[in-house]
Amino acid sequence: MKPLDPFDSNMKLLQKVMDLRSTNQSIIATNIANAETPGYARKVYEFEDELQQALSATPGKLNTTHSKHMSFAPSSFHTVTGKVHEVKDTTGFGDENSVSVDMEMIALSENELLYETAAQLLKKKFALLSYMIQEGK
Amino acid sequence: MDIFTTFDISASALKAQRTRLNTISSNMANVETTSTPEGGPYKKKSVYFQTKPISFKEEMDNSIRGVEVTKIVEDKTEPKKIYDPSHPDAAEDGYVAMPNISVLKEMVDMMSATRAYEANTTVIKSAKRMALKALEIGR
Repeated sequence: MKPLDPFDSNMKLLQKVMDLRSTNQSIIATNIANAETPGYARKVYEFEDELQQALSATPGKLNTTHSKHMSFAPSSFHTVTGKVHEVKDTTGFGDENSVSVDMEMIALSENELLYETAAQLLKKKFALLSYMIQEGK
Repeated sequence: MDIFTTFDISASALKAQRTRLNTISSNMANVETTSTPEGGPYKKKSVYFQTKPISFKEEMDNSIRGVEVTKIVEDKTEPKKIYDPSHPDAAEDGYVAMPNISVLKEMVDMMSATRAYEANTTVIKSAKRMALKALEIGR
């Protein structure tokens, strides 16, 4: 963060988090909508670990001594897209549907809360910026 | 993928569950219907759910899907036979073919449809709250 950059990187991170959480919400909605579709495999959207890695990665594990050199480390969280993987039903009875509605409801509210947290933080950051612009009035 | 994708997904589920509830009410209404235009007693109907792509873009990405009722199937099990020689639809041996419907099973199915419907309305409410929260930024 440069001292005079009012839009610090945390703002962009919060933006990214909201984006990912909104995708996650669609995935959870898909699972709940198909809670009674025979043979449907539950989908899980994972991005938390990837995001964590992108944030904790020390940029420049490969030395970039020239302006045209590229670093291999996932230096930026902007590239985090998350992965969807399927969880198949292995119980061997019933209609081979692996959705458990109560688990999905928990995931839904958890996701909503974390989305709202990001939105709230972003709102506060803007409020602070506005305070600064108005010379603390 | 936009903010309304979730609404579309859950709306498709609401529609599917409503169709299911209509089928159940049709079964319940015809639990004692012994004659139909096709001949024979009424046969139990049930819905067949299948995943459905929400839009062309989501069709590419197969992780975001809605649900739809692709067909309504008839239960092929034999009709229940009840001895009642005075019934107008009674066969020569005095037995009447009654619909292959179990009221108990229909009730359970109805509860299940109601709960699934409620779960999807909860998702819609949650999506709405999230969208409103996003609108609050900068206010």
